[in-house]
Parts: sequence; C-alpha cells; structure tokens
Amino acid sequence: MTAVLNRPRRRGLRATLLVLPAVIPVAIVVIGGIGTTVVQSLGLMPLVGTPALSVDAFASTEDLLGSALLSLGIAVISTAIAAVVGLFTAVLIISGNWGGRIVGALSAAAVTVPHLVGAASVGLLLSDAGVLARILGIPPESWPALVAGPTWFAVIAEYAWKESAFIALIVVGTLATRITSFDETAAVLGARRSARLRFVLLPLAAPSLLVASTIAFAYTLGSYEVAWLLGKTYPEPLSVMALRLFNSASLTARPEAAAVAVITLLLTAAVVVLAMLGLRRMRAWK
Amino acid sequence: MPIRNPLRRQPSTTARHRILPALATAALTALALSACSAPTNNPRGPEFFDWSDVQVAADGQTVKLWMWGGDDQGNAYVDDVLAPAAAAQGVTLERVPIADTKDALNRVFTELQAGRNTDGAVDLVWINGDNFRTGKQADAWFCDWTGLLPNMNFVSDSDPLLTEDFGTPVEGCEAPWHKAQFSFVYNSATVPNPPTTVEGILDWAEANPGRFTYPAAPDFTGSAFLREVLYSVNGGDESVPSMYSDEAFDELSPALFDRLETLAPSLWREGSTYPATSEQLTKLFADGEIDMMMTYGPATLTALVENGTLPETTRVLTVEDGTLGNASFFGIPSNSGNIAGAMIVANEALSVEQQVAKADPAVWGQFTVLDLDALSATDRALFDDLPQSPVVPSFDVLSRNANPELSAEWVPALDDGWRTRIAAR
Repeated sequence: MTAVLNRPRRRGLRATLLVLPAVIPVAIVVIGGIGTTVVQSLGLMPLVGTPALSVDAFASTEDLLGSALLSLGIAVISTAIAAVVGLFTAVLIISGNWGGRIVGALSAAAVTVPHLVGAASVGLLLSDAGVLARILGIPPESWPALVAGPTWFAVIAEYAWKESAFIALIVVGTLATRITSFDETAAVLGARRSARLRFVLLPLAAPSLLVASTIAFAYTLGSYEVAWLLGKTYPEPLSVMALRLFNSASLTARPEAAAVAVITLLLTAAVVVLAMLGLRRMRAWK
Repeated sequence: MPIRNPLRRQPSTTARHRILPALATAALTALALSACSAPTNNPRGPEFFDWSDVQVAADGQTVKLWMWGGDDQGNAYVDDVLAPAAAAQGVTLERVPIADTKDALNRVFTELQAGRNTDGAVDLVWINGDNFRTGKQADAWFCDWTGLLPNMNFVSDSDPLLTEDFGTPVEGCEAPWHKAQFSFVYNSATVPNPPTTVEGILDWAEANPGRFTYPAAPDFTGSAFLREVLYSVNGGDESVPSMYSDEAFDELSPALFDRLETLAPSLWREGSTYPATSEQLTKLFADGEIDMMMTYGPATLTALVENGTLPETTRVLTVEDGTLGNASFFGIPSNSGNIAGAMIVANEALSVEQQVAKADPAVWGQFTVLDLDALSATDRALFDDLPQSPVVPSFDVLSRNANPELSAEWVPALDDGWRTRIAAR
C-alpha cells in the first residue's frame, strides 16, 4: 500500500533532480539578469556615486508611452501576420504533397537565418535603391518608403517572415503525430472538409499555435537589431531606446535604460500570462 | 455527427501552487546577486618604474584590442602590420571587432560592477571623446602610463589635440594613435560648383531638395555635424565656449535647432527620417541618392573610391570656416590583466615605422600624431614621400582653420536636444 502511494512522489523527486542541472544555471542567469536590471532601474546600482532608492529613471525617461505603444503595435501586427501565415504554411506542409515539402524545406531554411542577416537582406531588397527597386526600374525618389518609413513596413515584414516559418515548424511538429488518425476518424464519421478544419485541425493546432505565437511576440518585443536597422529614427521602439540609453555617454542614463528594459519585461510578462491563461482553457492542451 | 468542441474550459489548479515559491526564490536570488555588486573599482596607479620593467612584464602576454570592426583597412592594418610588430617584442595582439566603442566601455563597466578588477576581457581600446570622459568619470582607465613610453618623445606635449580629448584632460590615461579631420564629401559630377562654407552647404541643400542628409545623433558623425552647424550659425568656433554650461547651451543651441528645423524639409525623405549610422549615409551617397555626405574618417575614402564603392568623382570639400579635428587614442582599462603588454602595443603604434605605414593611403591613410619637426630628417622624409591620395587632401590642407572639439558634456546635450526638437518634428 505504502509502496503504491510513494511511487508517484518518488518519481516526481527523481524528475526534479534530473531537471535541476539544466534549471539552476538558467535560473541564475535569468533571475540574476532580471534582478540586476530591476536594481539598476531603481537607482541602487549606479556606476558612480552612492546608491539611493528612487523611481526617477522611470519618471525621467521621455517618450516612454509612445515607445511602448509603438513596440506593442509592431509586435502585435507582425505576430498576427506570422500566426496566420504560419498556420496555413503548416497545413500546407501537413498535406504531404510535393508543394508542401518544398514549403517545409523553405520554412526550415528560413528558421536558420539569423534575424540580423534577415534584416540586412530585407533592407537590401526593399530600400529606395534596393534590389527590388532596381529590378522594377523604379527610381529611388518614386519608391515608397518601406525601409525607415512611417509604416514600419520593412520591420514588420522581416518579423512576420521569420516568425511565420518558426510558428509553422512548431505547429507541424505537434500536428504531424496526431492529425492523420483524428482526421481519418472524423472523415469516416462523415465530417466534411470545413468541419474537419474547424473541429479537428484548428483545436489540435491551437495550443502550439498559441505557444509559438507567444514566443514570437516576446522575441519581437525584446529584440532590437531589426527595428534599429530597418526602422525610423523617431519614435523608437522600447528595445532600441533601451540600447541607445545603455550606450549613452552620460553615466546617469544607465538606470533609465534599465527602466525601459523593466517596462519591456512587464509588457512581455503580461502577454505571456494572458497566453498561459488562454492555454489552460484549451482542452487539446491536456 | 457533431463533434464536441475541445476548446471548452477545463479547470486546473496545479500551476498556481508553484508560483509563490518561485517568486520567493526569484526575489532572494536577485537580492543575493545585487548585494555583492556595489561599485568597487579603485583606480590602479603606475606599477612600473621604467620601460625595461614593462618589457619584462609584457613578455608572453596576449593583448586583446577592442576596436570598431567596420573599417576593413583599419582591421587589415592592425592584423598585418601592427600585430607582427608587437609579436616581435613578445606580445600577442588580438583584435576584438566591436560594433561600437561603447560596447568595450560597457563591458569594462559591467566587469567592474561585478567585481572583476584584475583580469578583465579588455586590455586596450581604440577610443576618444565622450567615451574617454565617461570612463574617466567612472575611474575605469589605467592612468599615468604614457610618460613611460619611449616613443612619446616624438609627440608634441603642447599639441591641444593630444593633451585634451574633447575638453577632457588626457593626463596620461590614454596614448595618441592618429588624427582625424571632419570632412564634407561631394560628388563633383553632380555638384560642379560646390559651396565653400558650412552655411553654404546648408543653402545648397535647400536649393537641391532631397540631395543631402546627415546621420541621426547620437551617431558619432551625425553628432559632429551638429557641432559644425552650431559653430557656423553662431559665427564660428570662437563664439562657442568649449566648456559646457546650461547658460551657454540655452543661449547658443536655439540658433542651431532653428536652422536644422528650417533645413529638414529639404533633406532626403523630407527629413521624416535620418540614416542611423554614417555607414548608412555612405550607402546613400554610393547609391547616388544624395550628392553630399560627411565623415570623421576621411582615411577610408581613398580605398572606397578605388574599389568602386564610391564614384570616381568623389571629392573632399575644404570649407573656409574649417572643420572639427580630433585625435584617436589607446586606452587601457583599469581592470586589464595585461597592462604591460598593452603599453608595448601602444608604444609600438607610435613608432615612426608604424605611423608612416598607417599614413599610407594604400594601407589606411590615417594622419600621424607625431610632431614632424621633432623627427630626424630621414624620418621626416618618410612622411614626405608618402603617395598622395587623389581623393583626400593632405592633413595640412584638410586641417587649415581647424576647429577645436567642444568639451564632451556638449555632446549628449546637443544629441538630446536634436532628438526632441528635430527628430520628433
């Protein structure tokens, strides 16, 4: 009797022990990094002078609201596009025909391209005197301001392209194992194509789609190089602002940079929490 | 046959139990980490009595030189010319390419904050201006060492470019490397009659809408352009006090920002955006989108024209009111573990052979910091015999009427003012 009762607990302990070597270093880096950032943003870790608790860094950073809205706008739009494109790409890959395989190979290749290289390529392609403008024979002054323009087109396009490939591969990974049997069963029971899409494919794909989109969103909100290379000078997304302040020649700007990072972190955390709550509502997650 | 919707809510509580302990652990770890990270860097004083001490200590050391990696000629010079010369003296020189000099400074600051005081990753930095000042404020530099370098004998000790770095006294905390002169660059094919003053350049830009722009501050070059225009709109460099004060800023900066605001609609893309870096500005010029650009490193122009990046008709504009000049230096972080080796490299870089090699436009084209009058006739002849660049005038032509740099406090003030007044326009 006791042995039966103890077994799950012992198994849980062993699992915990096995996972610790991976968790501890990650926890030290993540928690230590976040902790240091929070401490710096509160003025407790100055480069020169005496530490003093204050929220000046949050209050004195200009354009914070505008930057936060811009960051969220870019992240929401590019993640939404990436989720839709990624889902359809996944369905195409799952379909198993040769077109799907080509798309699968292309997606896998796109995932391996670093964002920095992606951004440089998008810049070369879409800028005023870029490859596309030259191929089409359009002079720079008549070419729309896609790079560094008011719409942030190139930034959103780069994120949407790269992250859609990532989302597609994650969704394919979960669908590939289960979809055929469920789909066939539904078909045998008389479900039409549209019904199978609504009641089998979408529910099965939803959890991984949500998780992958959340990862894409968090990445888009936090990364700076794409927005810096392809974006407008002003206003700037939170990540670009944080890096500019961190690199600023005045020593007092470091707490401000940390404050911007803390706000970025809070926004990301809020979205992740929302996504996790949404995930728990999904039956297919069980 | 209807299928049950699996998206329906399924209550679960397992995750909730783990949140509190996780939060507690996070708070404790953060506290523990922050408790041990108060700034602890004490400036290190001189550790060597004479040059032979340095030579003994340096033998076998590996010096990591952190420098901007975006200049192929500069990289090649360090790898192929300077590194072998250092190796001949028993010091291995490793170049660490970085995107911005501030990356090196930030690395040093972070190490000092973390208490890594004697074996930092940075041994030598190519540095000047506000970065030097920031590091000096934070006691991040090893100081009082340049007096030991034998080759400092050929450097003038009264040259203001070398005794002060953007208004910050050098005080032996960095060794000179080369001089630079801010330069305006134009395409002589599209600008047959170039303007001859800074104000003339701005007028030309307004007469030719869309053909001129400048990098967004805080880019180094864009920031220097702000200071050029500040001098110009206030009647020259004598009218602007080199030392920063809020009063001087409030009095002199409105004219600058008013002028740039009037100029903005005539710029590339009507001034709705600006190139983020000087490389992006160079690309616009290379693509023929603009007819005039600027650089604080005219040394790179010769090679860019030769390899076809820039048009053959690229010329440097010498303006009557003169342009900003500065010098680049080598700084040694106070937490370097290879200070002696770094000193050997800095001394070697100041030798006549290295300065001549580096001044050759085919190698790098950087202007020397040596006092040519203090050299022997044979050494001076080496400089005189250097080939002339078809693009870049010689230093004495370029530096005619040269303007002094403002003190480093001006730089962030002007940059911030530009962001709020012009970029946010």
